[in-house]
Amino acid sequence: MKAPFSSYLNGIAPGLKELIALLRGRYDYVSVLSTDSVGFTVAISQRSKSVSRETIATERGTVVRVYKNGLYAESAFTGFDPANAKETFESITRELDAQLRLMNAAGVKAYETGILPDEPRTIFTEMETGRLPEEESISSMVDKLSAVSDQGMKAGADQGLKLIDFQVRACSTHVCKMFLTEHQDLRQSYTFSEGMTYALVAGEERTDFAYTSLSGRKGPELFDHVEDKIPEVLRIAKDLVSAERIVPGEYDVITAPEVTGLIAHEAFGHGVEMDMFVKGRALGADYIGKRVGSDMVTMHEGALCVEDVTSYAFDDEGTPAGDVTEIDRGILRSGICDALSALRLGVQPTGNGKRESFSHKVYTRMTNTMFDSGTSTLDEMIASIEKGYLLEGMQSGMEDPKHWGIQCILDRGYEIINGKLTGKVVSPLVMTGYVPDLLGSVSMVSTDRESFGSGACGKGHKEWVKVADGGPYLKAKVRLG
Amino acid sequence: MADMKKTALDTLLNVLKTSGADAWEVADEEEKGWEFYFIRHSLDQHRAKDVRTFNVKVYKKFDDCLGSASASIPSDATEEEMRRAVEGLCSDASYVRNPFYTLNKPCQAETKGQAENIDLEAISGDFIRTLASIPETVTEDLNSYEIYVNKITRHFLNSEGIDVTTVHPSSMVEAVINARKDGHEIELYRMLKAGTCDREQLTRELKETLTYGRDRLITVPTPALDKPDVVFATDPSVELYRFFASKLYASMVYRGMSDWKIGDMVAPENLTMCSVRSLPNSSRNVAYDEEGAPIRDLTLIDHGKAVSYMGGRQFSQYLGMESSFIPSNIEVIGGTESEADLRTGDFLEVVEFSDFQVDSITGDIAGEIRLAYLHQGGKVTPVCGGSVSGSFPELLKTMRFSKESRQYNTMLIPSVTRLQGVTVTGVDNA
Repeated sequence: MKAPFSSYLNGIAPGLKELIALLRGRYDYVSVLSTDSVGFTVAISQRSKSVSRETIATERGTVVRVYKNGLYAESAFTGFDPANAKETFESITRELDAQLRLMNAAGVKAYETGILPDEPRTIFTEMETGRLPEEESISSMVDKLSAVSDQGMKAGADQGLKLIDFQVRACSTHVCKMFLTEHQDLRQSYTFSEGMTYALVAGEERTDFAYTSLSGRKGPELFDHVEDKIPEVLRIAKDLVSAERIVPGEYDVITAPEVTGLIAHEAFGHGVEMDMFVKGRALGADYIGKRVGSDMVTMHEGALCVEDVTSYAFDDEGTPAGDVTEIDRGILRSGICDALSALRLGVQPTGNGKRESFSHKVYTRMTNTMFDSGTSTLDEMIASIEKGYLLEGMQSGMEDPKHWGIQCILDRGYEIINGKLTGKVVSPLVMTGYVPDLLGSVSMVSTDRESFGSGACGKGHKEWVKVADGGPYLKAKVRLG
Repeated sequence: MADMKKTALDTLLNVLKTSGADAWEVADEEEKGWEFYFIRHSLDQHRAKDVRTFNVKVYKKFDDCLGSASASIPSDATEEEMRRAVEGLCSDASYVRNPFYTLNKPCQAETKGQAENIDLEAISGDFIRTLASIPETVTEDLNSYEIYVNKITRHFLNSEGIDVTTVHPSSMVEAVINARKDGHEIELYRMLKAGTCDREQLTRELKETLTYGRDRLITVPTPALDKPDVVFATDPSVELYRFFASKLYASMVYRGMSDWKIGDMVAPENLTMCSVRSLPNSSRNVAYDEEGAPIRDLTLIDHGKAVSYMGGRQFSQYLGMESSFIPSNIEVIGGTESEADLRTGDFLEVVEFSDFQVDSITGDIAGEIRLAYLHQGGKVTPVCGGSVSGSFPELLKTMRFSKESRQYNTMLIPSVTRLQGVTVTGVDNA
């Protein structure tokens, strides 16, 4: 079925067009983004249950962007009355004028920027979904997740694990966004869902947790087989309670697809967000056309490069979705760019202008960030390592686009000696290094690849948005602590 | 406009009262904000925000169980939309059954010291002027900064009769500092939160960061070190003390994520941690918590011994606590040594991490070193690269902390903390 576009947004569209016309009398460029996204979160464990009709992306509101005299300004609000656009117009101009007076009084100069183009464009997209979150039976979802939690506890006990709890979490969102200008009318509707199974396990000396995730540009049907995740999360829990601390040092490693994705995200995801180029905050700006990795490294970024949670039709500035080849066989080719940064840099926007919500500013943000596949099998890669680790499970990462340092906190390392897994597990792990060294050391790439969209990404330490990343297994050399 | 706002809330309250819900809570939340984005000292963009939502939770009673479900209902929802949303929540709540608990009842909070007049324009002006006056040099300056000034109004009501409103300012400055030398440039990042603009505090923080930027340029790679003492004296310290707080949340304890018990020694014997109703210029100085409970001063750890859990109504009642609340501000005291005492001998003082983390369940600590000062044999060497890792619960046994304090928005904590025998993976650990 198709995810139907919001009747609320259709209903306020004429009023918003009237608002745009009023604002065009004062400003040289006006755009409006209105959102009406609904969903649910169901979290079930042995100790507590919760249901909320909210997710990270549910919202309803409007943001207006205006331009005059080289300067952009925005006003975000709720409660738009389509029958009274003039009142909203007066409220917007009153606040923005007061801000300008403050700027002028403080002697602040504008960072002058050109005007955004407003070529005629129409998009109306209702993407396919199995089911809709707003129509999902919550009772069935609670029953299903409760059964999975019970099964997880029982299976854990059968395996001799001391499970404290087994949690299952399901979030599903139906996104509807409408972008309007004087000449553009873009409307999109799609669903995405993400979930997690989570085992809290008591070891000899400490309590630890294991998790697996699932995600997709799908409706609640994503959770139809969530019980299939039970064996994997219990395997991880078992590995964690027997894990030892690693001896710090530099090792040959194989990164599992979720770790590969974290590297992609931190290394040349944030590193080539081109609003950072505008501010002179990214070393990547000086490396376009230069080598940043081995011949085996090819990386793509874009809403179209894989289908996952952020595979939209257009971004929050009305730029159609793209697929950018960031690194081609080790050579940095391009960054990703929001519309204002593109104007400032004299390049084309890539469909990566995103907001945390309608009430937040646009920044250049990632969508799907993926390494391309290679030609090796995982067995061949393991066999090639004399002493090292197979790295699995990601916890968090942080980049330094100015200095190309990278930090990845990982869950587990499986020891490899003389080309074979020994069964020894180390945890947790801090992987650090210099990005070109890390990518330059990539010497084998597996044939398969996978994307993961259950996490959220911050810009600095704020502005959380949905992203997906992933890739194949990579063989590289890294520092572990 | 004021009447329209009242009408929307009244409509929602009427819908709730006739919905068949056995109990309910509503938070009418309004956030007005002014935002300014600068590249160098030029205005990149300015924004205004006026956002209002109703956060609603409904409850259904079943023998010894309580069902609940929550939603955010748009402030411009029609009565029919509100009715449908609340009916849906009542239905959802009947499937989500947790052990029974009761909602908070009306209880007057101490409101002295609460914010009165919050002038977005005046506060914004203070921030803009302060940031324009940070003493930069040819080699250390502000790359860019973002100013967020918010007035947050929260009107909370529940079916037990609570009807309270809190208004507070909440501000943030995100600043990126550059330092350069011989054609090489680095950056450092700060996200500084507060109630309003404290010119002196903000200037002090950013001047300190400019100094770190200068030192970052003269670092050498962190060498291999054999379990050195590590000193924390900047904002990553907050994560260490937040670990104590997280372990005492009723929700963490009830759900098995914390095994801390009242009466157990959980911290160094001189450490005392309290929830405090207010801290100077904190962005969370509010009289009532999210569930309408009065926020008060409360000792959580007394000389190393856990003496009270804290947290929301549901999980607190499960642990037998009748008058709990969700704290806003935390104070840690009890240090007996001076900052200077804690900086004697050999140690590594890490002032900048990529992202320092303390896992709230395992207590594992981890962070990549962006700038540290290695004190060895009386010599001080700025270093970078490599990482710090270890188990905080194990490192607690040797934890020392200063009698002097430093405030990081909602956390007033010892200004210097020293841990012994930390794993440091140097760049030379090959």
